[in-house]
Amino acid sequence: MVLVLAIGDLHIPHRAADLPPKFKSMLVPGKIQHIICTGNLCIKEVHDYLKSLCPDLHITHGEYDEDSRYPETKTLSIGQFKLGICHGHQVIPWGDLDSLAMLQRQLDVDILVTGHTHQFKAYKHEGGVVINPGSATGAYSSFTYDVNPSFVLMDIDGLRVVVYVYELIDGEVKVDKIDFKKTATTRSSN
Amino acid sequence: MWVIYFFCSNQLIFMSPAAIERPMLESACSKSSDESRRSFANLRGVQWRTDLGILPPLSSSTIDDLRKVTADSRRRYACLRRHLLVDPHLPKDGSNSPNLAIDNPLSQNPDSTWGRFFRNAELEKTVDQDLSRLYPEHGNYFQSTGCQGMLRRILLLWCLRHPEYGYRQGMHELLAPLLYVLHVDVERLSEVRKEYEDHFTDKFDGLSFQENDLRYNFDFKKYLDSMEDEIGSHGNATKVRSLDELDPEIQTIVLLSDAYGAEGELGIVLSEKFMEHDAYCMFDALMNGAHGAVAMADFFSPSPVGGSHSGLPPVIEASAALYHLLSVVDSSLHSHLVELGVEPQYFALRWLRVLFGREFSLENLLLIWDEIFAADKNKLEKGAGDDTGSTFGIFSSPQGALISAFAVSMILYLRSSLLSTENATICLQRLLKFPENIDLRKLIGKAKSLQALALGPSISSSSPRCGGAYNHSKSMVVRSHTLPSDSISPKTPLNMVPDSYWEEKWRVLHKAAEQRNGSSGKQNPTPKKGWTEKVRLSLSRTASDPSPAKAGCGNDHKPSVRRRLLEDLSQELGLDEDTEKAGCDEVSGQKDHICKVVEVENQDGVNNDFTCVAEERCLSGIAGSEENSSLFSDPSSPLSGANNHENDSEKSSVASNSSIDETDDHPEANHEDTTLPVSHLPNNATLNSGDNNEATGKSLAVPKERKLLSGKFQWFWKFGRSNDGEETSEKGNGALDVTKSANDAGSQSSTVCSSVDGSCYSSTTGDLVDQNMMGSLRNLGHSMLEHIQVIESVFQQDRVQVGSSDNFSKNVLVGKGQVTAMTALKELRKISNLLSEM
Repeated sequence: MVLVLAIGDLHIPHRAADLPPKFKSMLVPGKIQHIICTGNLCIKEVHDYLKSLCPDLHITHGEYDEDSRYPETKTLSIGQFKLGICHGHQVIPWGDLDSLAMLQRQLDVDILVTGHTHQFKAYKHEGGVVINPGSATGAYSSFTYDVNPSFVLMDIDGLRVVVYVYELIDGEVKVDKIDFKKTATTRSSN
Repeated sequence: MWVIYFFCSNQLIFMSPAAIERPMLESACSKSSDESRRSFANLRGVQWRTDLGILPPLSSSTIDDLRKVTADSRRRYACLRRHLLVDPHLPKDGSNSPNLAIDNPLSQNPDSTWGRFFRNAELEKTVDQDLSRLYPEHGNYFQSTGCQGMLRRILLLWCLRHPEYGYRQGMHELLAPLLYVLHVDVERLSEVRKEYEDHFTDKFDGLSFQENDLRYNFDFKKYLDSMEDEIGSHGNATKVRSLDELDPEIQTIVLLSDAYGAEGELGIVLSEKFMEHDAYCMFDALMNGAHGAVAMADFFSPSPVGGSHSGLPPVIEASAALYHLLSVVDSSLHSHLVELGVEPQYFALRWLRVLFGREFSLENLLLIWDEIFAADKNKLEKGAGDDTGSTFGIFSSPQGALISAFAVSMILYLRSSLLSTENATICLQRLLKFPENIDLRKLIGKAKSLQALALGPSISSSSPRCGGAYNHSKSMVVRSHTLPSDSISPKTPLNMVPDSYWEEKWRVLHKAAEQRNGSSGKQNPTPKKGWTEKVRLSLSRTASDPSPAKAGCGNDHKPSVRRRLLEDLSQELGLDEDTEKAGCDEVSGQKDHICKVVEVENQDGVNNDFTCVAEERCLSGIAGSEENSSLFSDPSSPLSGANNHENDSEKSSVASNSSIDETDDHPEANHEDTTLPVSHLPNNATLNSGDNNEATGKSLAVPKERKLLSGKFQWFWKFGRSNDGEETSEKGNGALDVTKSANDAGSQSSTVCSSVDGSCYSSTTGDLVDQNMMGSLRNLGHSMLEHIQVIESVFQQDRVQVGSSDNFSKNVLVGKGQVTAMTALKELRKISNLLSEM
């Protein structure tokens, strides 16, 4: 059983001062095994903070990131799942499922995590999953100013992944759960 | 080729533990005599389960009962496991949508499934750290994933079930042998089955318990689905057997017994599948001490258990009890360890917590546990007035006594090597690295012989026990004080040598006398011996004097009373403010300071400095008066043995102090100490008759005691009388307020008394022992003469100095006191002459 935190688009300090305190109190070291960050942190301090939550940190480059060493895309394997990360501003139209599915096939991953739209989204697509964790600080985007802070925690256990969505709505943390199951044949057929 | 190799290795793995076990089991079997034990002799796991109270004894129950109980215990474990080992992925009680606000991985709620899960994971990590290092020499079993998984689950469940204890290092080492024993049993079962498969001719007739199980196995395997538990990689040994191959008669019996509901597969007493369940039940019983057994969990408890007076963790109390037993059994070794500052808990903590698991190899450990588990677990009824007895509550059952006796026999095993070193670290090293090649049977035999002794004091009389408790808790409470008092001893190397020398001499004498007394009197000398030991202890640890209240005997008011008395007295004495204060503080506070002061003075050369002498005398005066005050504070209850004992030990330490003050004479002090237990009873008698003057009380006690002696020592009589008369005359002129001179003379004459006591005693023993002892007696006389000379010189110088001081009225009194003391000294010299003549 592995817990993977997917988080992104914090835009600190440009569009938000910090993570919401409720999120901060929930995110404690010791529980999470991996962090996937889609980018736009934007400063090193946030990187350090995430590192303090879990040393195994995977970040891709957002268009506002100071650190240009982050890669554009990244893939990693956790358990029996292959995960791909991309910030998403490169995929046009932004947030379009078909374009993202193309990237998913391109990267050959089971789970694709992207950001940029600041809207939580999760799709099952062609035996895989496309997830957008939204903005963890609730920073405004180029689409909208009405953004609820949100992030995603994936519980990967064998062939099953449970996606917990944490969303701050009106000062209350709302948790949602989405179950995905991977068929064992998916990977072997590829 | 490969197949053969595999088979062989498999065989090896399977056989090895059993092969190790076999000779051991046989020896255990030969030792145990009673019928019930023998029935399980080669199934140690079952035997232990019976001993630990999980299974009812076979003699009083049928196989059916056994199976029922087994099944029940397993069901409990399975239930516990289902309840406590949470898996957040499996929704509980069917509801697929629990409250996500609470049940999510980042939940802050400690009661949420995930919260519990994370806590368990943390605990598991701690447990794993220990488990990965468990018995590396038996790694092929203990380090296998199946075994580790079982151990981890059991420990986890126990700790979750008992959050007040939590997981402590060492628990895994208590559990591992239990699991191992079950494993060996199962191995044996499969072995027997194999054998039985090959030639099952007349083996049936000799079939005992385990084969019955075997058949249960056969029968129900087919009818029952596999149970909900799967034990890791251990898998199921295929037990497919055809029913018709079995003896039909026994088969029917088995079926018949099953018809009464024997729980099916769950009731198989010896089952590989339920090893984990059984091991948990055993572990639980061991830790919680079912049916009055020693609860091992207590040794892990950081806080005192109920009924404890000292407020110390039970394991510390238990280690103190060990030392107490050691002091009774072997006082010289005990005093050696105490002198070196080797506290019992330094090593006993490890010994007791894992029940000697670290000190012996696994094979030997199983034998030791055989004995411990088999020991009688019934707690003994304690005497009504014995409050402090519960201090050792852990060891108040025969089982506990056996544990402590075993530990003591381990210490005794190392006796010579411990005595040969003067280094505490090396001592501890030797205690903690117990030799491997030992005669275990001898060790167990010794422990068994000591068991009665360990138990003895608690039954027969509470008083020596109380004394022990008092002393020990004292030594523990004021542990910090032992260092200063110890640090004195290097300052006086000259004194140390004669001290131990005389002590040794005395012990030889004492032992000889003891042997004469024969086995009937054995019970008496031993406590006595312990007694002197304790007195000695209090002598060497005079610093601990202010702590009787702390020690838990309940006399809180005492020190304050004593202090008040002292202050009054010293005011009467009208001495210099400073010395008085210093004296008071030192006496009531820390005695070792006095010792130090005296030490320094004596090193300066007996008495060149007037102030020193004054102070010294003041101290001795106060010390003398303290004897009185301790008597005053004595609640006049002649029956309270504990109190008397306590007072006596105080008294003796005080008395020895005063003698140290005057002569710095350790041997004499020792002799004085040795006589105390003897003169104790008559002393009390006089006390109860209403005489509050300690000195007269003592001198009265002396003649009384002397009545017991042979007529050969009539001059002692005479002396005692004259001494007595001296006292009374002193009392006459000295008035009832204790003046300085009276005190001075009192203390001096009490020293005289005590030295007389000493000589009396040694001469009685000398009467009993042969020529060889006469030499030592002569030496004794010589040394006494020397001491007298010292006293004399002190005295004379003292007189001169006092005379030079301006306090004339006092001077007169002092003069009077000195005259009487001088006569006493003369008498002393007479005795010493007589002694040396002998």
